[in-house]
Amino acid sequence: MTNPFQHGHPGDPISSAGLPAPLSQRRSSYASVVSGASALSRPSRPNFHHLLNPSPDSETYNNLYSTQRNSRFDVGTTQGRNGVSGEDGLPSMAWQPRLGAGLPYFSRAFEPYICKDPLFPNGAVPDDGFNSLLPAASNPVFLSPSYLRGSIYLQKLEAAHKARVAAEREGHAAKTQSGTGLASGANAHPQSSKLPAGSHRGVQYEVVEKAPAVEDDAAVSPLPSRWNKDDKDPNLDVLGDGYEVKHIGRSSNDHEASALRAEHYMPALCGVYYFEVSIMNRKREDTTIGIGFSSGTVSLQRAPGWEPESWGYHGDDGHCYAAQNVGRPYGPKFGPGDTIGCLINFRLGHALFTKNGDDLGIAFRDVSFKDGKGKLYPTVGLKKPGDHVLANFGQQPFLFDIDGYMKVRCTRNSEPSGHIVVTSPASAPGRYVTEELSFPCLYPSSRGSLCLPTLLNKSFSGRGDTKRSLCRLFGSRTEPLRFVIQPPQIIARHCYLHSILYMQKQQKMISEDIRNADTAKLAPPLNETELIQQLVLQFLQHDGYVETARAFAEEIHAEKQALNLDASKDIEGINIKDDEDANNRQRIRRAILNGDIDRALKYTKNYYPKVLPDNEQVYFRLRCRKFIEMIRKEAELNLLIEKKSTARVRQGEDDEEMAEADTHSSWEDQMETEDGTDSAVLKKLSHEALQYGMELRSEFDNDPRREVSKHLDEIFALIAYPNPLKVKEVAHLLDGTGRVAVAEELNSAILMSLGKSSRAALENVYAQTLVLLEDLRQDGGDGAFVTVQNVINDIPKPTLM
Amino acid sequence: MSRFSLGRDFDSEQARAFIFAQFAEDYGRMTSSASTATPLKHAFESRVADVKSPKSDINALILDYLTMEGYPKAAAKFSKEANLQPQQKDNLIVARQEIKQAILEGRIEAAITSLNEVDPEILDKDPHLHFALLRLQLVELIRQCNGGDINPALDFATKKLAPRAAMNADFLKDLEKTMALIIFPHDNLAPELDALLKSDLRQITATKVNEAILERQARRREAAIRELVKMRAWAETSARLKKKDLPGRIDLGLYGEDNEYNENGHEPMITT
Repeated sequence: MTNPFQHGHPGDPISSAGLPAPLSQRRSSYASVVSGASALSRPSRPNFHHLLNPSPDSETYNNLYSTQRNSRFDVGTTQGRNGVSGEDGLPSMAWQPRLGAGLPYFSRAFEPYICKDPLFPNGAVPDDGFNSLLPAASNPVFLSPSYLRGSIYLQKLEAAHKARVAAEREGHAAKTQSGTGLASGANAHPQSSKLPAGSHRGVQYEVVEKAPAVEDDAAVSPLPSRWNKDDKDPNLDVLGDGYEVKHIGRSSNDHEASALRAEHYMPALCGVYYFEVSIMNRKREDTTIGIGFSSGTVSLQRAPGWEPESWGYHGDDGHCYAAQNVGRPYGPKFGPGDTIGCLINFRLGHALFTKNGDDLGIAFRDVSFKDGKGKLYPTVGLKKPGDHVLANFGQQPFLFDIDGYMKVRCTRNSEPSGHIVVTSPASAPGRYVTEELSFPCLYPSSRGSLCLPTLLNKSFSGRGDTKRSLCRLFGSRTEPLRFVIQPPQIIARHCYLHSILYMQKQQKMISEDIRNADTAKLAPPLNETELIQQLVLQFLQHDGYVETARAFAEEIHAEKQALNLDASKDIEGINIKDDEDANNRQRIRRAILNGDIDRALKYTKNYYPKVLPDNEQVYFRLRCRKFIEMIRKEAELNLLIEKKSTARVRQGEDDEEMAEADTHSSWEDQMETEDGTDSAVLKKLSHEALQYGMELRSEFDNDPRREVSKHLDEIFALIAYPNPLKVKEVAHLLDGTGRVAVAEELNSAILMSLGKSSRAALENVYAQTLVLLEDLRQDGGDGAFVTVQNVINDIPKPTLM
Repeated sequence: MSRFSLGRDFDSEQARAFIFAQFAEDYGRMTSSASTATPLKHAFESRVADVKSPKSDINALILDYLTMEGYPKAAAKFSKEANLQPQQKDNLIVARQEIKQAILEGRIEAAITSLNEVDPEILDKDPHLHFALLRLQLVELIRQCNGGDINPALDFATKKLAPRAAMNADFLKDLEKTMALIIFPHDNLAPELDALLKSDLRQITATKVNEAILERQARRREAAIRELVKMRAWAETSARLKKKDLPGRIDLGLYGEDNEYNENGHEPMITT
């Protein structure tokens, strides 16, 4: 088996130089990977290191690590390309990770690129003994395209992913111990598979790759993330990372092509799905590549679009094909260097393509997109040997401004623009109150969309195609709408008018509906204002914010009194009971929020002696938090010392300029003494932290629960850093938000022990809304872009003190 | 908390208890004898129970509400008790609260003065708001004279309101309606006119003014909690329209766990 690409360009991977030019102009707004704490940037900390982790000193580790990393890439990639073992004679350093190549492994700035590496997507170190100390470091990649951020789909997917990672880690650990070394869970998420340790990597990796992709319908279906090696025409070869496909067979007949699908279907739940395919062919001759999507049963000997249940856009003629042999003119031809994008809007039931980042207009409308039952997979069809494509399933920034598409942002910059005035149909007065919708520009008519010149200066009830498309835009099929287009400007450049207007319309209507929602039925007889006051007051009391509750009650009372027009009537005051219980809970919360865990433990033991023994999980959390607070204290002092010393160095430089050696020694002495005190304190702190950490570990070491050992490992990782506050992967552990979480967990436990609901009514409202919206979203329908999170995000962020 | 599901150990006794519990719930009260069995939870309820409601979000909602709707003392206490940074400077909240309070008490002139101090441009830029305030002031003047000397009210209407009403048909209509209050005795008014004399008008105007100030200060008109509550109402209505599987009534839990309404009134936490 030969691979011309591999031998023709040894050591010249598809580096950015080899990519089509536009690929280098990525959108900066994009970050595709949510990774866990990464081991990449981990400097070791010798003084603590050896205590918790008997491993080689840091130098050795670093060297070991970097070579290992490269050799692993070598194995992985050559493996993938050959499909057999890794014996292809390439020197181990020759093949470097495509984007991460040459970067210092500790550089955080490049993390997003390194993370994109398909084999170790988050730069995780494969299991080599370090993981036992730092399991958090091996979180596999989680594909999180920016355009789906905030969607419930992604939240679900993320939750499912986390659960899977946790389960995998456990399974993995067990298997590694037993010596079989099989990576587990590969069927669920190929990217999450890890290389086990040992010398049999090649073989094991092979096993991983061949594991069938099983899709669990009950769970949230994952996003397509690479091509499926088991669902392709034999003429095609999927190259190592799972994104590239090459035609390695003989030319296909006229009516044949070689196709392959991605390993997951596009989930209708996400509302909109988008992927891009770059044509990597080296020769400039005409390319016969089709890009589109198909259901899982369509023949792989046919280009997408030729068969029922498949749709495609073909590069040789620029036509689009919708489930038949005959296409219709759609866009320009495409070939080497071009990047074609394919977008399916499940909500609106249409699909469109992009070329090098430009929207080509709607290609297909089909109801079958809408219900999502078809399970459509991203598909490419290649015809000739040498045809070679690279897919971007969201692991990299897209050329097309998908975020802009999602945000439905109508830029009103220097582009020539017009606007449509829409008047309500007679039957629904007030639906569109002579609304003016602005847009930058319109599609040329050749693309099957609106053409402004045909509408210029016309006030018409609508006829033919124009009427139909406009009526579709505004959601009315039967009623004549009146449109006036003004001002008369001829617009050449295209935009996403159809989608934008529709989505704008839809969103406007939904938010209008929400704004007008009748809240009177929620808790009769309270009106909205009263209901909200009650919700707030109940929450404050429930959660033990006694003083706030009292102040709030007074303020409401003053308002009610002001509104009282009948002098004879007395407005009854709200009496916040001096609830000893609430006071106690607030005292405990206060202590935790101040980082004083010992005090909180003492209070809890005094006031609620049964809570901690009954809620061991909470007790454990508190103990862990204490450890974190100790580390935090140490890290803060560390920062302070550092600041002092840099200040001194600067001062020292100044001194040197002014006077020479004479004054020199005096401040050096001073520095030493100061350093002495500080470092003594520091030493004491770290000693105490360590001592406490050991205690903690021995106390919970035999605990069988996974989350316990996981959490312990996570926080002990903090010891490995000279200053964890400066390492963003772990700094969040020290964050003040952690205090809030612990405090609330304890508060809930206390409430439960008192027989009270652990949730206040406001929290019920929140949770109920989430679930209701989820229900509304099931069919990819109206609720798809309404989220509770958006409401929360509207609040200017108050930061923790 | 124990709850059971329709599983293997669902026996007839539990079924009876369940039916009884449902029955009891339908009739609004749960007697203590029924509490031997927890009513079977609707799938929706269990899903709600499984959803996380992060305290950070809830706390943010609370602080936002106290800030936006002008409860400075509570906002300050809350940011202290919950360890959150204040969303707005205290003096801004206090200023809005003072204006709100003045309007609620019917001291419109004082409110206009303070409003001009807070934001000298706001009334010039928003003639509707200005007119609404002046109209409320007229209502208050009419209320004060109640059968006595109507001259101050007439004077005020002629000087302040008439010139504005001349420019705008809506204003004119509102002014005419308000002037009708002078003619008719207040104890037997048409509902449309009676509404003007109710305290609601003060409340509505106060909200309008607060929102207008907020929009200029923070570019947001409404506290997020309002949108959440509306979204909750909308989502339930839409879900019911779409025939989603929901329990007959989704309780907010404002009155405790067991869907129990307090018999003494609807605000059990309020005692005199």
